[in-house]
Amino acid sequence: MSAAGPRRRFPEGTTAGDLRAYMAPFVERLGYRFNDDEEFVAEVLEAEIEILDEAGDVYCPCRVRTGDPKEDVKIVCPCIPFYADQFAKLRKCWCGLFVRTDVEDGGELHGVIEVPEGPAEVPVALADEFPPGTLRTVRIGKREVALARVGDEFFALGNVCRHAFGPLGQGFLDGHAAICPWHGWRFDVRDGTTDHPGADVATYPVSVRDGYVFVTV
Amino acid sequence: MQIRLYALSTCPYCRMTKKFLDSASVEYEMTEVDKLDGAEKEAAIAEVRELSGGASFPVVVMGDEVIVGFNKKRIRELLDL
Repeated sequence: MSAAGPRRRFPEGTTAGDLRAYMAPFVERLGYRFNDDEEFVAEVLEAEIEILDEAGDVYCPCRVRTGDPKEDVKIVCPCIPFYADQFAKLRKCWCGLFVRTDVEDGGELHGVIEVPEGPAEVPVALADEFPPGTLRTVRIGKREVALARVGDEFFALGNVCRHAFGPLGQGFLDGHAAICPWHGWRFDVRDGTTDHPGADVATYPVSVRDGYVFVTV
Repeated sequence: MQIRLYALSTCPYCRMTKKFLDSASVEYEMTEVDKLDGAEKEAAIAEVRELSGGASFPVVVMGDEVIVGFNKKRIRELLDL
């Protein structure tokens, strides 16, 4: 069975336009849009079509595949979730195909490659699509964070329960308590505290702007 | 100063880097890693990893300095342009 066999995500004859239409709605939810430099976008998408035809998926045109599927999945376009902290600071993805929605002119980011020191404010969700009472895991680069909404307030805390490493973001909300789905440990989403000594989880600053929820990591 | 560019044929910033070096009329060696085969390709990828700690392109080696990405500003500084 070849790599371009049954698991191929896009049919033969997929065009750059098809890719664009496919990606636009979900990169928007990651807080990104296509670069404003249309010529540049066309060039990157053509390169991705070439890679798709050769390798069976739309791998990043600016990085090499290792041959290890677990690693290579992290460079399938758009790779934003896997590098969300780095890209939030660059304000674009590595190859420049996508820029943050709050960037005025993406073309001006060509040649910007130095990642500034310090924390990154990372867009993680559209506020409108995250109703009160929601608890969910979001990926920010190498880390996972449990994002909660109580009323009109958002909270972000470490995703791993300190009891048996259950995924808090897959649990439930009871008022301001995030309840681990595995054994019911309760964590206060406001400060990460729990009744169990020494088992508090980290919390992260959250802000809402232009309809996006941002977590600072 | 010896200049070496590691690039992928599919990468737009690699192309921009090449164009920039050409326009500066400096001599450099270029390796298009994805155009190599077998052992040669593996060796080139290993070099890039060793130099840059990753496998993101372009990688420009200028003397002792390794620049990852299309960093026009830094190339200019090193070339005294």
